[in-house]
Amino acid sequence: MEIREKENRQVKVKVSHLTKKFGDLLVLNDISFDVEKGDLLCVVGPTGCGKTTFLNSLTKIYDVTSGEILLDGHPADPKKDHIAYIFQGNSTMPWLTVEQNVAFGLDIRHVPKREKQELTDRYLEIVGLTKYRRYYPKQLSASMLQRVSIARAFATEPELLLMDEPYGQLDIELRFKLEDELVRLWEMTGTTVIFITHNIEEAVYLGEHIMVLTNKPTTVKETMRNPLPRPRDIAAPEFVRLRERVTDLIRWW
Amino acid sequence: MNKKQKNITELICAVVSILTFLILWHIGVKGELGRLMPGPLPVIRMFFATLFGGTIGSRTMIIHILYSLIRVMAGYFLGAAVGVVLGLSMGWSRLVEAVFSPLFRIIRPIPPIAWIPISIIWIGLGEDAKIFLIFLASFCYVTLNAWSGAKNVDPDYLRAARMLGAGKRQLLFTIVLPASIPSIFAGLQVALSSCWATVLAAEMVRSSEGLGWIIIAGMNNNDMVQIMTGILAIGLVGMLLSMIFRKVEARLCQWNKSGS
Repeated sequence: MEIREKENRQVKVKVSHLTKKFGDLLVLNDISFDVEKGDLLCVVGPTGCGKTTFLNSLTKIYDVTSGEILLDGHPADPKKDHIAYIFQGNSTMPWLTVEQNVAFGLDIRHVPKREKQELTDRYLEIVGLTKYRRYYPKQLSASMLQRVSIARAFATEPELLLMDEPYGQLDIELRFKLEDELVRLWEMTGTTVIFITHNIEEAVYLGEHIMVLTNKPTTVKETMRNPLPRPRDIAAPEFVRLRERVTDLIRWW
Repeated sequence: MNKKQKNITELICAVVSILTFLILWHIGVKGELGRLMPGPLPVIRMFFATLFGGTIGSRTMIIHILYSLIRVMAGYFLGAAVGVVLGLSMGWSRLVEAVFSPLFRIIRPIPPIAWIPISIIWIGLGEDAKIFLIFLASFCYVTLNAWSGAKNVDPDYLRAARMLGAGKRQLLFTIVLPASIPSIFAGLQVALSSCWATVLAAEMVRSSEGLGWIIIAGMNNNDMVQIMTGILAIGLVGMLLSMIFRKVEARLCQWNKSGS
């Protein structure tokens, strides 16, 4: 038990003094925080506060101005580290079938054929798309496409999963469904997840930890543990209280 | 209306429209015009009579058609291959684009038949020259479309692939190439009709066989039936080519159809 506790405390992502400027515009201002291994961290903040800039710095789409991002103690590099990224909107490849899309990340990493087939089958089943494996993205609905993206990300068995408002464009019912799916997958795989959203309810529903960012130039306002047991009830008084606390943090500066 | 009924209706309409055209043609050439223009019956008769059996010049119609087709295919595929490689490279690499696009922009607007005189002087108007002209016709359209296809790849696809760990080579072959296929096919289709037009022009200038030769020889002998037969064959082969092309495209671009 004690060993497990210690393992859980292992730091997966260490962000220290991360600063990003676009020209003279300071977007990220000296951000430092740690993400524990196996955590599900929800990052909330006002719209346009640089949440996406933060993720893009993490995945080296942008070079950071100063500071560093360490993954298991090394500078993060998407070519070497298994980082998966799910973002808002459809990012499935229209020329591949559902099955080929799920296998895409495995093909990129040259995973042996048998293992690839097993992983693909498994995650197709988990997101409930086995029946649609031979369909092309054009034949699917928005929520099914997002499930393809989720299966594609999880199939690579990432050490770190980054999600950038993945459910922003979905209607509320589908969002609830996919949020539950994410929690289930996260519990099953123990992947470290950083989930960015502007939806406070979503953050409180999903997060083990919730990190609130300030307006530009962005700094960390507060990071809190979310002690609510799962499955969470969005109408429960404790849930509402926590949600209001986060809302207040965003409202006040 | 189900699919079968729809197909039958379409077929009936096609037959009616072609028959009406033939009847109007038949009636139209009854009077004064008949001296300048043969009716449809002699033309169709000649087409089938010469298809495998009788000859125009020293060859049957099918041999003439094959001559034209082989010239087209040689130049077309050569041009398509070079065009796809050059176009994708231009869309993929800023450097390649900067080097080749100014040259390409000047060469592209020159119609292939403008090269006929110079190719006669350089290489004589033998097979090489004809294939060279068809190559130009194919190459320009395919390059242009492959180029714009590769340049307009949705950045989200590239981002997603990069996130999954794709290197530069993998991005090119797993994202840029397949994403450009619809655009490349659009170029291939235009290129095919352009090649078909060019082979006729080249054959009309100099050759001793092929569909273009049939028309020119008909003109030189004042044989209107032969000219019209040649034109009929050109139309039919052109139609067949684009039908085959669309079948191939539907096969290879299945994912690009919307709905199920």
